[in-house]
Amino acid sequence: MSASRKAWLRLYRHYLRLLRNSTIAWTLALAGIGAAVIATFEDRYTTEAELQALAQLEGIPAFEALVGPYSQIATVEGFTLSRWGMFAILVAVWGMRAAGRLLRSAEEAGHIEPLRAGAITPHGLLSAAVTAMLTVFAAFGIAIGLSHSALGMDTATSWALGAAMALMAAAFAALAALASQVFASSRQAIATVGTVLGITLGMRVIAAASGTPEWLWWVTPFGWTGFLHEADEAQLIVVAAFAAITTALLAGAFALAKRDLHGGVITAREGAADRVRPVKSAAGLAARITARAAVIWGAVITIVSIVFAMIAHDFADAATAMPTTVEVAAQAGWGRIDSLEGILGFTFALFIAPLLAVFAAGQAASIREEEASWRIEHLLVRPIGRTRWLLTRTAIAAAATVSVAIVAGLAAWAGTAVTGTPITLADALRGALNIVPVSLLFLGLGLALFGLVPRLTASLTLGLVVASYLLDFVGGYLDLPEAVLDASPFRHIASAPGADIELAAAVVMLAIGLAGIAVGAIAFRRRDLQEA
Amino acid sequence: MSGTNGTPVVRFAELTKRYGSLTALDRFSLEIAEGEIVGLLGPNGAGKTTTLRTLLGLLRPTSGTAELFGLDAWRDPVGVHRRLAFIPGEFNVWPQLSGRQILDLLGEVSGGYDRDYRDELVERFKFDDTKRGRSYSKGNRQKIAVIAALMTRAPLLVMDEPSSGLDPLMTATFQECLREAKARGQTIFLSSHILSEVEAVCDRVAVLREGVLVEEGALHELRHLHANTVEATFEGDPPALDDISGVEDVSISDGMLRLHVSGSTDPLLKALASATVTSIQMREPSLEELFHAYYEESAEEPAAAAAAPEPADQPGSDE
Repeated sequence: MSASRKAWLRLYRHYLRLLRNSTIAWTLALAGIGAAVIATFEDRYTTEAELQALAQLEGIPAFEALVGPYSQIATVEGFTLSRWGMFAILVAVWGMRAAGRLLRSAEEAGHIEPLRAGAITPHGLLSAAVTAMLTVFAAFGIAIGLSHSALGMDTATSWALGAAMALMAAAFAALAALASQVFASSRQAIATVGTVLGITLGMRVIAAASGTPEWLWWVTPFGWTGFLHEADEAQLIVVAAFAAITTALLAGAFALAKRDLHGGVITAREGAADRVRPVKSAAGLAARITARAAVIWGAVITIVSIVFAMIAHDFADAATAMPTTVEVAAQAGWGRIDSLEGILGFTFALFIAPLLAVFAAGQAASIREEEASWRIEHLLVRPIGRTRWLLTRTAIAAAATVSVAIVAGLAAWAGTAVTGTPITLADALRGALNIVPVSLLFLGLGLALFGLVPRLTASLTLGLVVASYLLDFVGGYLDLPEAVLDASPFRHIASAPGADIELAAAVVMLAIGLAGIAVGAIAFRRRDLQEA
Repeated sequence: MSGTNGTPVVRFAELTKRYGSLTALDRFSLEIAEGEIVGLLGPNGAGKTTTLRTLLGLLRPTSGTAELFGLDAWRDPVGVHRRLAFIPGEFNVWPQLSGRQILDLLGEVSGGYDRDYRDELVERFKFDDTKRGRSYSKGNRQKIAVIAALMTRAPLLVMDEPSSGLDPLMTATFQECLREAKARGQTIFLSSHILSEVEAVCDRVAVLREGVLVEEGALHELRHLHANTVEATFEGDPPALDDISGVEDVSISDGMLRLHVSGSTDPLLKALASATVTSIQMREPSLEELFHAYYEESAEEPAAAAAAPEPADQPGSDE
């Protein structure tokens, strides 16, 4: 075996090792939730009457915006696939993160120089990373196919789902691989892929509107999970479409792989800094750092908010024609989806709330990043106390969270105003502020983790947001005890403005958030600083 | 030990720092008086960075104390930090800020700085402060650290491998700045691998080995504790050097005599007089030789056993 081939194999195994833990976690979580959905369906919908009630939920635009198109929801395949329309987003995020980590972040951390100085070419490096990712995604797909068919889902649909989800991860990993060649920083690369993810999800929302043509579903990969049902006879087309996208993106990444180390096709603005505004205090610095993330997340959340708001009239009208369905949805806790306010409450509670919570959790991660990178030392060896530093950053993060929520509210108002009679500004802001406590709760939990187990801040805080959201989203279908379901903060968000804000829940969430911040500040004052 | 007038500027008292079962620093005691320049020496992993980070209140002592200006570094970090400036060996910058923004920020949060001196230092270190943080090389990032610390004119300068990454010209400029700081009466405590730097600027050195202070004193004192090297040429029969106290490692070849002598040199000189010595050279050990002597010892005798273990501290960064 040649030296370069040996080096390639070693590198491939190294990448597999890096991916191992996250693969195990994602596979167990997703295959487990999928399996739980199947088990619950078979357990819960046994009588004809129950199945008929379930079938009533078919064809509601607001739900299709949430999970993509779904058909035959009263069959185990249709029911499960409709949930996977949501899980697919997580699969895409996993693919994106895996590629960003192996490709761009490793380069930024200086791990690539010694490899490139050895017997491996840029193409070899990329192919080792891509092959390792394809290996773990394939294993994930097999786990999905095996678990779902074993639990009684139709075999062809199970394996089509497994293949499609493996390729969903691969497609977003390939997109991140391409972005990693184009942009010189992982931040830009991930922001770009995240934007594409947001746009494709936004297209799903637009495709869900009743006035848009059916073929629009085929424009976004998030519209394809529903077509995996064997009744659609489109399984092969979906899998082939995913494979084609992945191949094309990978071809692009390989074509651009021969670039400067630490460079990109589009180089970052280097050299002279343009507008040089002085940064004069720790608070000023915190504002600078936070503003960047707030602008990116604010833009994403605004787009989601405005897209939903623009289609809200249509969604509400479509639901009005199905009064039974509206009742069923209301009983399921989705609020009154036949009114503009109800649709926006649904949007805020189900779409904007998790995004805002991820932003808030990201702020805890960003606070930790200052310590992990040891930049915090520059401030803390100067006359700034740890507590003051932490509380300043936290206050600015909280203010940014509220600001992003308000912008989302204004966007919702504007969206409804463009397409018809707008909701009142007060209603729009009520809906937006309704989701602030849950985000501040996660900010507080993140701070507590930062104080107690700093190295786990980012993963645990984001993990808590995702786990809580999934618990709320699928928990209702699993026969879990109420106490477990109630553990998800998302469950306590009312669909404001369609429903009244649950004040007690909001106060409790804020109190827990504040307690988390206090715990974090006390623990941080008492511990060593810890590098990455 | 330092001749202190009143409170020493820096005082370590039996400072111990453990990470789980690893003792990074073991009952470390040292005092530094106002205006002194003290060097902290030791190989990688000896505990130098732990010593400095504990002094800065970034790490919590397992036992013992680190004090600055009579204030406890852990309990009152803000009070302590008003009067010191620190240069780390590795300086990560905020990628989105320009060099100028970073310098101004660090100056402002230090509670004030000398703008004219900043401009002078930017000039002397040939630092381009208009670029964004992410585009600076390691050497340039280190220049930010050095300028940001010096421009505050803090009474105490603490430095951890301060000239790492600087080129020889900039290292010379840096040492010049240190001498100026000393002339102004600033106290300096620095760890370094660059022995010539320590030799050039330090009044005193402390040597760390596996977390234990193994030697401490003025350079000339340390030299006295160690053997001088003697090289002589002679004609005819070699001098008889058996039984001369303090002489060891004698080697003779082709009319060249080489040996080490410790303690008084008088008996050696008298013995040499018995032969026809044509030239003689005697020199004190360089810091480098001292350094090697300490670490070779360390390979032979392991560090003193640590005190009875206390409840494990939370694991933290390595040294």
